[in-house]
Amino acid sequence: MTENRNIDHLFRHQSGKMVSVLTRIFGLQHLETVEDAVQDTFIKAAKTWGQHPPDNPQGWLTAAAKNRVLDLFRKLKADKERLPKVDFGTAAIALDELFLDHEIEDSQLRMIFTACNPVLDERDQIAFALKTISGFSTKEIAAALLLKDETVKKRLSRARKTISERDLRFEIPTGAQLKDRLDRALSAVYLIFNEGFHSAQQEQLIRKDLCAEAVRLVKIILNHPSTNHPNAHALFALFCFHSARLDSKVNEKNEVVSLKDQDRSIWNQDLIYLGNAAMYKAVETEVYSAYHFEAAIASEHLLARTYADTNWKSILNWYERLNAVRPSVMNTLSRAVVQLQLEDYESTKNTLDQINPKDLEQREYLYYGLQAEYYAAIEQGQKALEHIDHAIELVTNQYEKDYLTKKRKKLTA
Amino acid sequence: MLIFIGADYGTMGLSPEEIQERMGRWMGWTEKMAKAGVMKSGEALHADGIKRISGNAQTVTDVAAAELKELIGGFFIVKADNADEAIKIAADFPDYDLGGTVEVRKVMVFDR
Repeated sequence: MTENRNIDHLFRHQSGKMVSVLTRIFGLQHLETVEDAVQDTFIKAAKTWGQHPPDNPQGWLTAAAKNRVLDLFRKLKADKERLPKVDFGTAAIALDELFLDHEIEDSQLRMIFTACNPVLDERDQIAFALKTISGFSTKEIAAALLLKDETVKKRLSRARKTISERDLRFEIPTGAQLKDRLDRALSAVYLIFNEGFHSAQQEQLIRKDLCAEAVRLVKIILNHPSTNHPNAHALFALFCFHSARLDSKVNEKNEVVSLKDQDRSIWNQDLIYLGNAAMYKAVETEVYSAYHFEAAIASEHLLARTYADTNWKSILNWYERLNAVRPSVMNTLSRAVVQLQLEDYESTKNTLDQINPKDLEQREYLYYGLQAEYYAAIEQGQKALEHIDHAIELVTNQYEKDYLTKKRKKLTA
Repeated sequence: MLIFIGADYGTMGLSPEEIQERMGRWMGWTEKMAKAGVMKSGEALHADGIKRISGNAQTVTDVAAAELKELIGGFFIVKADNADEAIKIAADFPDYDLGGTVEVRKVMVFDR
């Protein structure tokens, strides 16, 4: 009984599995019916288990899901027009097979590809994936993505509408399509992880949930032979390296702790080990993706025993290579940061000059913050102050604001 | 008898994660009662398939859970010498925060 409670996220994960398997049986046009049916199973479980916990919770849920399939057949049969074209004889035989572990993973992978179908709006993809594969409620998605409930509802219904209008097939892409579709799927999983890892305003619990879900999704992708691609290994490695630092990123007061001040002794060595193992598989390719280079950068930081030990030269090299495959203004800014660390002031200035701060959008303050550091380093205190004031003026996040204000104090001291 | 009254989890749009969390609380409660030896029996009730029979004609009507503001979700029969003890036991009812209510009733004991 106590065991049952220790199964973290059992319902959440089981929800994604059941929705995927049942959708495979009934088709995407019945997705909402399927979701309601799965929800009912959990409510029934909660009520029954409260008094009579089963010995094998997962088995109980699977059995309940199978019964749900039969219920659904009856329900849909009653509504003749909506009856899916399923051969009942074969379906009954195939049913047990569809609930085998590898078939469940197969169904979940189909759901991932459905969510990441390019006909869906990118913003809708994430919400839809979190709902169907990760079993998040509208509220939970809203909290995770820092959106309003209403916005999430709109995105979900827009995704459902598109899926039904475009009559999407519930399948794993093959042939020439596969590469591009896999890229999109990885990119969506990457975005989910980033929402958890980089957003500065969330509770630690939500951050961890999002990161864990992204890890689970990339694992599903890796477990299928057709999608077991070096890029997916690189993404997995990147997640491991970032996750290893997750606990040290936020202090007891829920404040963001910068890399410089993080407690390196609590970095998770098991995850670092896992990430390194994944990197070996990731490099079995001629062409490296942006994930490869991001993982390499993250790994360099983990290798340094103290902040002062950081191998900035190597990191700069990875940033340059990352810039070649995925140029971005954030990347340019990061390069300037590294150049400043290397005390290569001329290059820092040159790189900063390449940036149009407006391109950084809500992160524009980072540019002025860095300018301030640059001028402080070359001992032009007045200019440093001007820039840090500009940064403080632009920043909206309170923690970052406090951080910059502290820095300003140091400049005037 | 502790009678549990409140909205159904299904209509509240709880996520699987939240439902599991609720379930953990129910389990913890029943475990605690079992250990204390106060739990006698109990049932959970389905929120669907509710029928209401009324009138001389014994008219049968279907009632949807959503129509009921006060849905009985289940009940426990516990051993308590007085109302205060029963109220103490009911302190661990998990759904107060969801607007749930516990009604404490004395089960009548007939003299034989």
